[in-house]
Amino acid sequence: MKWIRWQGLITFVVLLLFVIVAWFLFVDVAVKKIIESKGTKLVKAKVELADADLSIFPLGLFLTGLEVANPDAPMTNAFQVDRVALSLEGAKLLRRKVIFKEMTLEGVKLNTPRKTSGAISEKRSRIPVVSKESSEEKMKWPSFKIPDVKEILQKEKLQSLELIASFRGDLQKEKEKWQSRLAQLPDKNKLGEYQKKINRLKSGKQRGLEGILGGAREVLTLQKELSRDLDLIKTAQKELGQNMTSLRKRMAEVKKAPQEDLRRLKEKYSPSPEGMANASRLFFGKKVGNWTETFLNWYKKLGPILERVKERKHGREVVKPTRGKGVDVRFKEQEAYPDFLIQIAHVAIEIPAGLVKGQVRNITPDQDILGAPLMYEVAGVNLTGIASLKIDGSLNHVDPFSAKDTANILIRGYDVSDMDLSSDAELPIVLKRATADLEARVTIAGETLKANSLIVLKSVNMGTPNEEDTNSLMKALFSVISDIKAFDLKSEISGTIQDYDLKLSSNLDNVLKDAVKKQVKAQAVQFEKRLLLVIQEKVGGSMADLETTIGGLGSIGSELMARSHFGDELFKRSRKSGSGAMKLPL
Amino acid sequence: MLRAIVSLLKTLNSETEPGQISLALCFSMIVGFTPVFSLHNLLVFLLVLVLRVNLSTFILGLILFSGVAYLLDPIFHLIGLAVLTSSGLEGLWTAFYNMTLLRLAKFNNSIVMGSFLFSLVLFAPLYFIANKIIMQYREYVLAWVQKTRIMQAFKATKLYNVFATYSQLRGGV
Repeated sequence: MKWIRWQGLITFVVLLLFVIVAWFLFVDVAVKKIIESKGTKLVKAKVELADADLSIFPLGLFLTGLEVANPDAPMTNAFQVDRVALSLEGAKLLRRKVIFKEMTLEGVKLNTPRKTSGAISEKRSRIPVVSKESSEEKMKWPSFKIPDVKEILQKEKLQSLELIASFRGDLQKEKEKWQSRLAQLPDKNKLGEYQKKINRLKSGKQRGLEGILGGAREVLTLQKELSRDLDLIKTAQKELGQNMTSLRKRMAEVKKAPQEDLRRLKEKYSPSPEGMANASRLFFGKKVGNWTETFLNWYKKLGPILERVKERKHGREVVKPTRGKGVDVRFKEQEAYPDFLIQIAHVAIEIPAGLVKGQVRNITPDQDILGAPLMYEVAGVNLTGIASLKIDGSLNHVDPFSAKDTANILIRGYDVSDMDLSSDAELPIVLKRATADLEARVTIAGETLKANSLIVLKSVNMGTPNEEDTNSLMKALFSVISDIKAFDLKSEISGTIQDYDLKLSSNLDNVLKDAVKKQVKAQAVQFEKRLLLVIQEKVGGSMADLETTIGGLGSIGSELMARSHFGDELFKRSRKSGSGAMKLPL
Repeated sequence: MLRAIVSLLKTLNSETEPGQISLALCFSMIVGFTPVFSLHNLLVFLLVLVLRVNLSTFILGLILFSGVAYLLDPIFHLIGLAVLTSSGLEGLWTAFYNMTLLRLAKFNNSIVMGSFLFSLVLFAPLYFIANKIIMQYREYVLAWVQKTRIMQAFKATKLYNVFATYSQLRGGV
């Protein structure tokens, strides 16, 4: 039997040709689908491509009409690119290395509207970014109206009233306890009996030695009994004294309580110019917070582009292939290249002010293999309303364990117009016109975020849309605001990319604070007087009751003192009578 | 699918060399177990077409082994990973890794390596076992089936006549 069929070779060649032709026919569609599906998965919003064209001579890829939807605003494209041209290195492709020597992005536009929603049905697991600023978004402008004291006291509990109630209860128990104890102690009647006995002993004449000895014994017994009763009275007197000291201490605290209530409520409700010390945060806090959050959300999306998950198994580095199963084990290469690399990307972004052009170098998820970080640099070209704009920095993940990303932003002469600084109904403020210079530096080292920026605003024109509908305090404030011609705004962000703290400060804060200080202080004094009056009304009666009750305990003390003096007197007399009884009739 | 099964039955029942059927089965095992778009499969396809192996068996085997491959993927991965990370073979793999053709073959993927080795190891045993089974089948089972009353009754039906006529028209044996 013949084992070879030569016609099979022809079939093989024909099939191979068929596959190659099919590849040529469908590769563009396949590339388009791969880019769309991979991009959608990465961005978590629709990524659409009008056309993809893979060219063999020269080897390259041309994409047109790339639209990347914004996952946070699905009816808007985060960016769209009219044309992307990529030139590929063919030799490296045979080694499964997708190396683009050059990429050119033309007609890049940001935040363009979409006809259809770019949302995908998959639930997005957006990592919540917690900024301390966002929790302060609810912070409102200080109210310059004097608050209604009665309303405040309806919703606020007075601690002084609670203290009085508790003290009154204790005082009552103490009073009852002492009244009962006083009843048990030797009273005037009992002491009177001692007196009678002493008188009898004094006046009595003992006859003979036996009589004298009997009288002496009686005196000693009386002294013993009297001494015991006196001890009881004195111990009670001492204890009462101690109790009274402690009660008076508590009474002093209770007396201080209304002042403490006043301080607390004043701090909480009193009109204060301190609220104006946070003006910069109220003006810009929400805006800066939103910018930071947007920046960080996009930064997180860059994660997979900057760094690929690499594991080590049996001591060898393995990487999960983007498609298929299993793992790809890496070995030492004579000429190490990342699996994917865009050596240089030329970008031209169209913004409303004009064109921003720049370059991005070394785009790869394997910076550790390339040994070089991603570097970027863009600058404005003949921009309208911006004198100059430059952004540069690097995303350095060469050592994944000490990754450090930086961004430096420099904007000069940016014309600001009609920016709402405060939409608060009581204090609407608009930055009508200004020229801003901005310098900012952002550093993200691992998870640690640090950013500093300084914005200097010159030729400032601020005001309010409805200047007539304001009170005298507002007018004073607006007058100061309209006089401000320049101010600066410093921001400092520190923490982690998940939880950061935003600090804003401006010389505007002190200017505004000083402007309202006098008026607000007068209002605060008025508020304090009203508050004090109402608090005193509420606690005054109760305080007097307490004084009376303590006074009642004082009378028990006086009674004990009287009994003690009487007892002492009797004891002295008993001793005298005792010495008389011992006189011998010789 | 049904046509492929009928074709296989016909092949088994025909005078086709058992080796042609067994070899087709072995080749289908390589293509079925390893990822189909691997470079080595191009060579297997060439061999399947050039060598006089039974194509129906190859197609049917391919379907069967591809299905089983899904279940065996974890084992292939373990085998491949163990071989690729073996320190004794590191020099060999490093040399392979730096060869363009072998990089195209994606030999450094744990599943490609694992499934390929698995198929290679089973290639020869499967060939001989399949040969033996086919011969046993033809000697005992086929003769017994032909003699059964059910087969006799089936051969008397119109359906069988239609099937036989169709087979002859298609150039069947």
